[in-house]
Amino acid sequence: MTHALTLIVLLPLIGFAFNGAVSMRARTGATAKSLVTLVGCALPIAAFLLSIKTFLDLRAGGYAPIVDIVYNWAVIGDSSFEVAFYFDRLAAVMALIVTGVGSLIHVYTIGYMKDDDGYARFFAYLNLFLVFMLLLVLGRSLLVLFVGWEGVGLASYLLIGFWYEDPRNAEAGKKAFITNRIGDAGFLLGMFVLYATFGTFDMDRINLALAGGPVAVSATLVGVLLFIGASGKSAQIPLHVWLPDAMAGPTPISALIHAATMVTAGVYLVARMSMVYVQSSDASLVVTTIGAATAFFAATVAVTQTDIKRVLAYSTVSQLGLMFVAAGVGAYGVAIFHVYTHAFFKACLFLGAGSVIHALSGEQDIRKMGGIARKIPWTFVTFAIATASIAGIPPLAGFWSKDEILWFALASSRGGATALWLAASAASLLTAFYMFRLLWLVFLGNSRVAPEVEHHIHESPWSMRGVLVVLAVLSAVGGFVSIPHFLEPQLALPEVRLPETSEHLVVYVSVALALGGLAGAAWIYASGPERAEAIRAKFAGLHRVLYNKYFVDELYQRVIARPLLWISDRVVLRFGDRWLLDGSLNGMARLAQRGAGALSRLQDGSLQRYALLVLFGATLCLIWIWRHV
Amino acid sequence: MIENLLIYFFGALALTGAVLMLILRHPMRVALALILTMLCLGAIYGLLGLHAIAVFQVLIYVGAVMVFMIYVIMLLDLRDPSFRERYSRWLVPGSAVGVVLFMLIAGALRREDATQAGMSASGIDVQAFSVAFLADYWLHFELVSVLLVAAVVAALAIILLKRPDRG
Amino acid sequence: MDKTQLLVALAGALFVIGLLGVIIRRNILVVLMCMELMLNGVSLSLVAFADRSASLAGAVLVFLIFVVAAAEIAIAIPIVVLLVRHKRSLDIGAYAELKG
Repeated sequence: MTHALTLIVLLPLIGFAFNGAVSMRARTGATAKSLVTLVGCALPIAAFLLSIKTFLDLRAGGYAPIVDIVYNWAVIGDSSFEVAFYFDRLAAVMALIVTGVGSLIHVYTIGYMKDDDGYARFFAYLNLFLVFMLLLVLGRSLLVLFVGWEGVGLASYLLIGFWYEDPRNAEAGKKAFITNRIGDAGFLLGMFVLYATFGTFDMDRINLALAGGPVAVSATLVGVLLFIGASGKSAQIPLHVWLPDAMAGPTPISALIHAATMVTAGVYLVARMSMVYVQSSDASLVVTTIGAATAFFAATVAVTQTDIKRVLAYSTVSQLGLMFVAAGVGAYGVAIFHVYTHAFFKACLFLGAGSVIHALSGEQDIRKMGGIARKIPWTFVTFAIATASIAGIPPLAGFWSKDEILWFALASSRGGATALWLAASAASLLTAFYMFRLLWLVFLGNSRVAPEVEHHIHESPWSMRGVLVVLAVLSAVGGFVSIPHFLEPQLALPEVRLPETSEHLVVYVSVALALGGLAGAAWIYASGPERAEAIRAKFAGLHRVLYNKYFVDELYQRVIARPLLWISDRVVLRFGDRWLLDGSLNGMARLAQRGAGALSRLQDGSLQRYALLVLFGATLCLIWIWRHV
Repeated sequence: MIENLLIYFFGALALTGAVLMLILRHPMRVALALILTMLCLGAIYGLLGLHAIAVFQVLIYVGAVMVFMIYVIMLLDLRDPSFRERYSRWLVPGSAVGVVLFMLIAGALRREDATQAGMSASGIDVQAFSVAFLADYWLHFELVSVLLVAAVVAALAIILLKRPDRG
Repeated sequence: MDKTQLLVALAGALFVIGLLGVIIRRNILVVLMCMELMLNGVSLSLVAFADRSASLAGAVLVFLIFVVAAAEIAIAIPIVVLLVRHKRSLDIGAYAELKG
């Protein structure tokens, strides 16, 4: 049907309106709650089914892109800006991930947020998020994408600070939003340069123009600017600081927004504007370098963290870095492949963590967990499968995508280098290590759980368990769908400069690394925390640096926040606003007052003063007449 | 010829009287100086041939107005600060502006403009004067008499204001 | 020098002296008398012009001025008397009562 794409975007919007209206009521009764559940989950599922149908239409049409022009947003002078949706292979993959995983997490929320007062509000915000994310992936022009970009930032802020009574949650929401805005400055500048050069915001047209040969725009400049925006949204160095703090939000949010969908928007942007990066090897180098650095450093921090969600947060940052490594060496399809598999296993991991937290009545510190595998077996098995997937154990999904990344990091003719492969492999080794560490400390070994919590350990309801199972299955078998191959007609894979035999070697090495990480974690943690303690004592300084995430937040506070505050207070507030503006305004008022006071002293009832003034005026008139007669 | 001399003389005397008004301290003496000025003006009117006006000047101004003033001066004989200190605080600025004005008048006098000798020295006799009042200016005459009635009523009102309890 | 010019200059001088007196002197009654002097100055100028011109308008106006002056003084002096009875002072400065 003609306006299927518009409908896909609008269905969750209806959900937002309905749930939002319900949430405004003082108390939600049971019927209202079930209505919210029905509307809140049915609409995303409907959007998912509609996406599948549109995908089938796309395939039937020979993969010619489906364009849905909705309306003309603005006509300014000669240029018109329209709201239009665009569905090609890349958009299909992203839309299916967003609606599919999104619907699963909506179902999970039914069980997780069951007892929360803000149940309707949560579903409203979730639906709102879906609307904006779909705008982002389906938009044809950078303008529509940017609306979605900002909108998901808004939804993220609203959801991170969902339990707003605790000011720390609100702080985390603010931090996310502000850090994103800094990236958005770069994004906007890149957009404007593109518009100035090509006269259009439509991404397909821009890509076409760029593919046609060298153009008058500096592709490096645009590439770097767009990447600044992407690194804000996808938490790359130096704008990664918001993602670990964003764990203050409820776990379904961490799964949906900060693992599966929103943070991958940056990767999507780079893949969508791939022609820019194809034209500029310097911009691609920037992407690769930052991606690799982020992947490695985030992995090192994740090794020491003690909050279950923080480990997963740093893991997400690290995996996003790997996606950018792939994008930087020209393998955009591989980056999207990793987005796809990462959505499955990371969502499964986060939702599993949510299940653990739910079982342990809110405990999130892994030092107070352990040995609960038998008590919550479903959670344990799904978590284990997802862990193995992220570590890269074949034939699970994570293995396929990670391996492609490592291969192209080494062998791509557009920036592949041994150093890059080494950095990515080190990150992968550390990933395997800390994920198995997490698995051990949470589920296996002796129980360090507090006694009063231990009584209440129970498995999650089926609304949560079912989703975990589906995601675990997808983490296992999802890799057999070769996304890079599917996307190849649109996002061509780069040439490789090494023979095919090297690829087998790379595969063996990466499997070895994964198993090595597993073995290392097993050796250190299997027998209890003593060995880990010993190692920590030996490398106390290093541990302190890693545990405090390289003191980046403190650095920003010192170097950026405090001087800014000082300028704001001293220069702008005290000098500019109070002294200059208020002073001049008050000064003028005082001037008027004093002037009026002086003048009013003329009217004191003294007859002789008045007569003098008459005489004076008459004299002046006479003098004037004298002169002019 | 003699007429002009007399006009100069009486003019100078009038001016002297006026200046004396500014200088003398006792209000009674000031009143006498004013009477002198008025009489000189009356003399000037007479020398110009307007005998009716001269008579009325003496009768009304000196005879009524100034007599009334003298009554009041004698009635309100208060020796308060205004008696000791003649001048107000506006002496200096007032005098400065006054000097400027005098210079203007003197300068106007010095200008040699072409003058035309109008009809003069014929004067206006009383008959022509009264006929004018009954013929051309009768409305003004009536209105002025209304004004006098209003003044009488106002004076009565002020008197009754002073004595509310008596009848 | 022309007679009319001289008389008009004299009239102007009398008027100015009268106005100066209003400004300079402190006693209320003296101020009243200076106002009479001003009126006289005006009358003199009217007479000077009446003497020169053919019509009687100047003389008539002078007569009307006399009447008005008489009426005015008949009211002004009682008012002054009342004021002085109330304030117990002949000083003009005592009557400047507006706050300013």
